[in-house]
Order: sequence, then C-alpha cells, then structure tokens
Amino acid sequence: MKKNRFRIILTLSFLLLSLYFLYPTYQDYQYNQEMKNLKNAEDSAAYFDKNGSDILKARDNKIKLGLDLQGGMYVIMEVDVAKLLQDLAKRKDEIFTQALNDAIEATKTSDENLIDVFEQKLTAKGLSLKAYFGEIRDDDSKIRSDLKSEVDNSIDRAVQVVRNRIDQYGVSEPVIQKKGSNRLVVELPGVSNTEEVRKLLQGTALLEFQLVIDPQIAYKVMEKLDTYLAGGNLDSLNKADSLKNLPKTTTNVNDTSAITETKKDTAKSKSKETKKDTSKNITKKDTSKKTDSNIASTTDSNVMNPQDTAAQMTDEEAKVKHPWFYKVRLQQYQDGSVIWLVKESERKSVMRLLDRKEIQDLIPGDMEFVFGKEADFLDEGEKIYQLYAVKKEPELTGGVVVNARSNIDPANNQAVVYMEMSSEGSADWARITGSNINKKIAIVLDNVCYSAPVVRSKITGGNSQIEGMANIQEAKLLEIVLKAGALPAPLKIAEERTVGPSLGEDSIKAGLFSSLAALFLVALFMIVYYRFSGGVADIALMFNILFVLGVLASFKATLTVPGIAGLILSIGVAVDANVLIYERIREELGAGKPMRTAIEIGYKKAFSAIFDSNVTSIITGIILYQFGTGPIQGFALILIIGLVANLFTAIVITRIVFDVLTEKGKTQINFG
Amino acid sequence: MRILQNVNIDFLTKRKIFYFISVALIVIGFAVLLTNGLTLGIDFKGGNEILLRFQQDVAIQNVRETMSKIGITGAEIKTMGNEREILIRTSEEGEGTVVTDKIKEALKNDNPNNSYEVLRIDKVGPKIGKELRTAAIYATAFSFLAILIYLAFRFEFVYALGSVIALIHDILMTLGMIAIFNLLFPALNLELSQGMVAAFLTLIGFSINDTVVVFDRIRENIKLYKNEDILKVMNRSVNATLSRTVITGGALFFAVLVLFLFGGEVNKSFAFTFLIGMITGTYSSIFVASAFVVDIKKIQQRRRDAAKQHARPAAFTKV
Repeated sequence: MKKNRFRIILTLSFLLLSLYFLYPTYQDYQYNQEMKNLKNAEDSAAYFDKNGSDILKARDNKIKLGLDLQGGMYVIMEVDVAKLLQDLAKRKDEIFTQALNDAIEATKTSDENLIDVFEQKLTAKGLSLKAYFGEIRDDDSKIRSDLKSEVDNSIDRAVQVVRNRIDQYGVSEPVIQKKGSNRLVVELPGVSNTEEVRKLLQGTALLEFQLVIDPQIAYKVMEKLDTYLAGGNLDSLNKADSLKNLPKTTTNVNDTSAITETKKDTAKSKSKETKKDTSKNITKKDTSKKTDSNIASTTDSNVMNPQDTAAQMTDEEAKVKHPWFYKVRLQQYQDGSVIWLVKESERKSVMRLLDRKEIQDLIPGDMEFVFGKEADFLDEGEKIYQLYAVKKEPELTGGVVVNARSNIDPANNQAVVYMEMSSEGSADWARITGSNINKKIAIVLDNVCYSAPVVRSKITGGNSQIEGMANIQEAKLLEIVLKAGALPAPLKIAEERTVGPSLGEDSIKAGLFSSLAALFLVALFMIVYYRFSGGVADIALMFNILFVLGVLASFKATLTVPGIAGLILSIGVAVDANVLIYERIREELGAGKPMRTAIEIGYKKAFSAIFDSNVTSIITGIILYQFGTGPIQGFALILIIGLVANLFTAIVITRIVFDVLTEKGKTQINFG
Repeated sequence: MRILQNVNIDFLTKRKIFYFISVALIVIGFAVLLTNGLTLGIDFKGGNEILLRFQQDVAIQNVRETMSKIGITGAEIKTMGNEREILIRTSEEGEGTVVTDKIKEALKNDNPNNSYEVLRIDKVGPKIGKELRTAAIYATAFSFLAILIYLAFRFEFVYALGSVIALIHDILMTLGMIAIFNLLFPALNLELSQGMVAAFLTLIGFSINDTVVVFDRIRENIKLYKNEDILKVMNRSVNATLSRTVITGGALFFAVLVLFLFGGEVNKSFAFTFLIGMITGTYSSIFVASAFVVDIKKIQQRRRDAAKQHARPAAFTKV
C-alpha cells in the first residue's frame, strides 16, 4: 500500500505538472478565439492593451507550432567569405580574382575553409595573403587569423542586425540563431512576402555614402532621357529649357533630416534650432555656441507655383511629350534644392527604363539613379518614392561606421542619429565633408537611399549627428541602416524553405486527423483484445500523450509535422510495453497461478524486455536528435520523451490499478 | 480473444532457406537500385523546389513549355496527388531564390486565368545537401555502434552482433524495396529525403526493439532449459513472444498506415518507409538476428565438442 501511495503521488504530481505547463497553450487558444471575435481593430487593440502582458506570457509559454504547420519562412544564411575577402582586400588584381575564383570552385561542395584554400592558391602563384591584406608589418599567420576572426565577428553582428531588422519588420515569434561558425538560421512564422524578407535579411554590408549629383547636371541627363524617350532629337535639346517647365508633383513634402558633428561629451545637444528644416543637413555642432549657426536656414518647404507650361499640359499630353518627367516628377524647394519623386505605380516602369541598355548609354558612366525608401507621405493616395541621382563610385562605404545610435534630442524633442566612424573613416569623412560643403550625401543601403542630408561643414573626428527625421521611428531605421554598415560581411542564402499558409493548415488537419485516428484504432484494439486490462492500458496511453505534450511545453519545444509522426509512433510503442506485460500475465495465468501472483510475475518478467528495448530506441532517438536538423529533431525529441514517459506510464500507472484491485481482494481481472 | 497462443512453429531449422530469401530480395532490390537509382530529394541533392496549387487543373505539358521558355531545361515536373498541385524541381543554381522567382513569374504570365497559390518553396545549396548526407551516414553508423555496445553489455557479444547484422539487413532490404516500389509505383513519390532518413533511423529503433524482446526471452529460457539444444530454446522463445510480436506489430502497423493514408504529403514517404521497415524488422528479429545467433552458437558448440575429443588426458603409456 505504501508503495502504491508513492506511485499515486508521483503520477498525480506529473499530471499536475503537465497541466501546469499546458495551461498557457490553452490560455493562448482562448485569447486567440476572443481576439478573433472582436471585429474591429480598435477593440482588439484595447483588448490587447488590457491583457497584453498575459497574452504575451501565454504566447511565450505555449507549445509552438513549427513553420511546416503554420506556414512561414526558414532561411539559413552564411557569410559570403569570398565577398568578404573582396571587400577587405587593399587591392584587387587579376591574380587575386583568379585565386579567389579557384578557391570558390574548390570549396563549393567541400568543408574546407575558403580562406585556407585561397591562401594555398595564392601560394601556388608565388604570392601570400600579405600582398592583399593587413599592414606591412603583419605576418601571414596574423593576417590569416585576423581574416578568420573577421568572419566569426561578422556572423555575430549579422545575428544582431538581422534581429533588429526582423523586429523592425514585425514578425511574431521569429527565431534568429547562430549556427556553427558562419551560419545564421532565421525562422519567420507566418511570413509570406518572401521577397521582402529576403531583402531584409540580405541587405547587409552594402551601405554606401554616395555624393548626390548637382541637380542641374542631373536634370540635364534626365532631359536627355526624356527627349530620347519622346522620340526627339538629342542634339536639338532646347538649352533654355529649365527646371520650371516640367510637370510637378502637387505634394507638399516635409522632408526634414540633417547631419551634424557631435563631440562625445556633448552628445546631448543644447543648441538646436527648433524650426523644422526643410532640407537635410550635415552640420558641425560647436559646443561653445548656444545656437548652431551652421544649421540650414531654409524655411518651410514650398512647391514652386505651377505656372510653367508643362504643368498646364493635360496628363495625356505630358505622357507623350515628356515620358520621363511624367513619371519622375520634380519638386523644388524655395532654397533651390530639388528632389525627384516617383509614384508607386510608376516605380517599376522607371526601374525597367533604367535597366535598358540605350538608356544606360545616355547616363554618364559615373552616375546612377537610386530610389529612396518609401516616403512617409502619399501622393493622391499613392505611395511615393524619391529618386536620387548619385555618383556611382561611393565616397565611403559603410564599413567605416563603428556605431550609430538614434535618440530624441532633449533640447528640441527632435529625433537624431549619432554616427561614429573609425579613425581611418574619420579622416576620409573629414576630407569628403570638407570638399562637399552644401552638397548632399546619400546614405544608400542595398541600392536604396535612406537619407540624403546636406553637408554643412567639414566634420573632423568622425562623430556626426544626423538630424531632422520626422520621428523616432525614422531615426531608428536610419540607425539600423548605419549599423548595417558596421557589418562588412555580406550574407548569402544557403537554404531557404517557405511553407505557404494553406499547406500548413492542410498539415495541421492531416496531422490532427491521423493522430486521433491512430489513437482511436490502437485504443480500440487494446480494449477488444485485452478487455478491461486493455482499457487500463488505454488510460496509461492518455497519460503518456499528456506527459509528452507537457514536457514539450516545458521545453518550449516546437511541434512539427515530423513531430506529429513521432507522437503517433510513440502511441504505437506505448502499447507495446503493456502488450508485453499482459502476454506474460496471460502465460502465468495459463500456468495456473493466482491472479495476484500472475500480475506480480508478469510485470517482473516483462520489465527487462521493456527496459532494454526502450533504452535502445532512446539511444537511436538521441543520435537522431544529435545529427538531424530542425524538423527531424522535433521528431526525435517527441520520440525520446514518448519512450521515457512510456517506461513510467506503462509500468507504474497500470500497476497502480491492478494493485489496488487485487488488494481490495479482487481475484478476477479480465485480461481478455 | 487470443491469437497465436501456445504455438510451436519450427522457425529456425529451415533458416538457410530464409537466408537465401533475404539475400535474393536484397540482391534484386539493389539491382533495381543500381540500374534505376533512388530519387534523391532536394534535401540531399540541393536545388530548387516549388509546390504550387492552381485553381484549376493544369497540364504538365504546358508547365514544361513555360519552363523551357525561360530557359530552364531538365526540370522535374510532376503532379502531387491531384492535377492542381504541381511540383517543379530544378538543379539550376542561382543566388537566393532567383530561380524559383523566375519560375513563379513565368507561370503567372502563362496562366493568366488560372492563378496559383504557393504551397512550398525550398532552396537547398549544394553544400547543405552534402552536409545532410554526411549527417545521415554518421547518424546511422553511430546508432549501430551504440546499439552494439549496449547489447554486448546487456546480453552477449554474439547477440549484439546478430542484432546489428539484422539492422543492416533491414536497411538494405528497405532501400531495395523502396527502389522497387519507386520503379513500379512512381505515383508514391518516394525519394530520399530527410523524412526518409528519419524513417530509417526509426525503423532501426523499432527493429532493435523487436529483436531485444525475442532475445530477452532467449536470455531467460537459456537459464531455464540449460540442457536443451540452443535451436530448441530459441524456437521456444520465438514462439513464446510470437503473440506479442503480432499484436504490437499489428497495432503499430495500423497507426503508421493511418499516417501513410491521411498524414499528408510530408509524412508519406516517412510512413511508407516505416511500413516496409516494420515488416522486415519483425522478420529479421527471427530469421536474421536469432538465426545468426543459432549458427554462431552451433559453431561454438562444435568447436567445443571437437576440442573435447582432441583433448585427451595426459598419461604415460607403455611402448
């Protein structure tokens, strides 16, 4: 009896523990149902405000569904070491390129380190790493280890940056993990816009500071494009044509960001103009002055009055006569600065135009067009993008950015971003800003310009401040963009799996149905074959499933499609232990032993077989877990938990029932 | 209800016949495997795979034309389950998912009135495929080693060896059978994927489970019937566990059959592999693992007898 009491307490505590761990899953389900019932967004927002922390807590502790069940994206990215080497090289010549290509080819399917292979290829050509990397005094082994640690560091930063970006993007329950030395695993449940996410993931280390081309020059080029597209003669371009005679956007742009220099001790600005700037500035901030005289003195933006002829044309006329300027609208501020805007609907066609060979031939070799990020205002209800004409060769690449931080300037409540550059970068930056005062420098990430502030003064020391963002969100975004510059390693996608939401739904249905069907069949079979005892085994089976799910929830593990397979399999294996025991008991009963003794001996004799067979299965499960990837691990985990739980449920729980019954003096128990 | 109670079938006397059957089936299976090959899934081969569900039925021929239009030749195109779901697989390489994006775009343009929904897109780089392959081989090898050690410790080395030989038999047999089924019923879409590797490892688990149960009874009976011939003891043990083998095997078989029939496309090749594996796993416990132990024990017995005969007591004799 004492033994039984202990077993009962043990069973009950496992039961309570499982229910405790499974409660958040139930809670989450409840919340989701209630949220679903709230029709409008306001109500659900209010509901979330009220119960937010509970909802999040439940969500955090529930059994999570794998990507294959709820749909989403699974991406493995790795550091593109070849690109990294190219970026880091002091110079690149034919030998370098050839050795690198050879090394890429050689490591395509092998596990060898690209850097090692590359070095070998260089050595074969009579050169060493020293020729392309590191300082003059460095020896090869130092350069080699520096390069390798660069790879290691970059993946660490990539994890951070990708996480930043994903958070920014707003995916719920993302998984971002470092895997091995140079891989990054990203799991994004519920994401279906793969292209966007991929850009988000891969848009690394392509931060460039590009000089914005003088609007007059850019205009001349665009005029050429316009004339060409209208079928006109390029030679007969009307030189008198000016910026005025063009179709213009009617939107009132509020474009207000600026860069200033900060000294570390004065990160908190006390000298800020409160008036909204209308152009972006890079200005030097002087600590000793109360007000910053360097700040642009432009007033509110104002669209030029559309007196010009082109604007008075009908849409159709403009489309034919000025095909380029119809798509790319000019916007001019009173201070003379000019921006170009493209509507969402025209963006693709402008991109296509720019890709055309004959168009590219008309654009000077040192110039290119980049789009801005989506503007935060609409034009006639449509999204709008800025188009920038920039110098193709970047003044500086983002690698020099050591740190970036967004903040609210307490002096005037304006969002600002502090940018810190490395010492080498600072020297270049001083030269660049010094020689481009009053010109704009575009901050371009992944060929998308995020901001193009005006340089107001030479910035020495490498600490700049970008100001004039509309809000802290915009500043945050710029911070992320700049930080991406501190990540010199480009990532490439090594593996990508996307599961559409409807396949996930199908899988849930199929998985649920087959689990229940298998459970029902097995349970029915046990009752038919072993009668009362079969029923007892079925109860143990239910406990088993409950324990497995409870452990799964407590591990914060994820349920996958193979995981469901593992669950079904453990249902099958779970009854095996009881079959072994019952067959033994039947044998003993057949040999004429009394019920109580038969049960005693049955359990005793079956134990070694159950134990050994479960242990060997657990061993293979562990190995499967060790070597498998994502979904397979889910399968192995459930199988292992199921097998361990099985040792308990089949041997202990069923035994309680039989012991209690025999102790009560029952001599007839139906074993079928 | 009782089945197979108190049976007494002589399984092991005719073991040579079953050796022959096993070897013959494996040879046939491998002949098919080597000539026809086993379809390697994207997990192991690398490449791009895209599964689309169209609103209406699509002719594979049209999809093929679209593919050749965009310059992707040698793509594998097949329907999955019904004519609306199309699986396209290419080994074309491209950065990220440019290849699948191209395919999607082209199919959208060529089927303006029949829109589709993306069920699944997979891209696996060649390096990853190789790593998965290596991992699968390691996993199998390590599980063999672990089982060998554990059983040698719990039973005798001969038993451990017999079990592992039975496992190798199961794997070879299942591989061969999959090759044969793949040839005969291509609609099953059997291919070597991560799921199938999981099935192989699970069947290792199941097969060893079954073998251990039989061996456990042998271990017990050898102590009980010390003077009985090893063949007899083993036959007795196999018969004693037969009802359990059939019941558990049956219950599990139905559970996995349900998984195969209704568990969805993802679990299909897993379930099928495991169904085959269960049959050979049960078979091999008796006709490979136990039979092997019988043969080795017999050889050991003969050696002992021969040694007894040779070893005459030392004695002086008169010459």
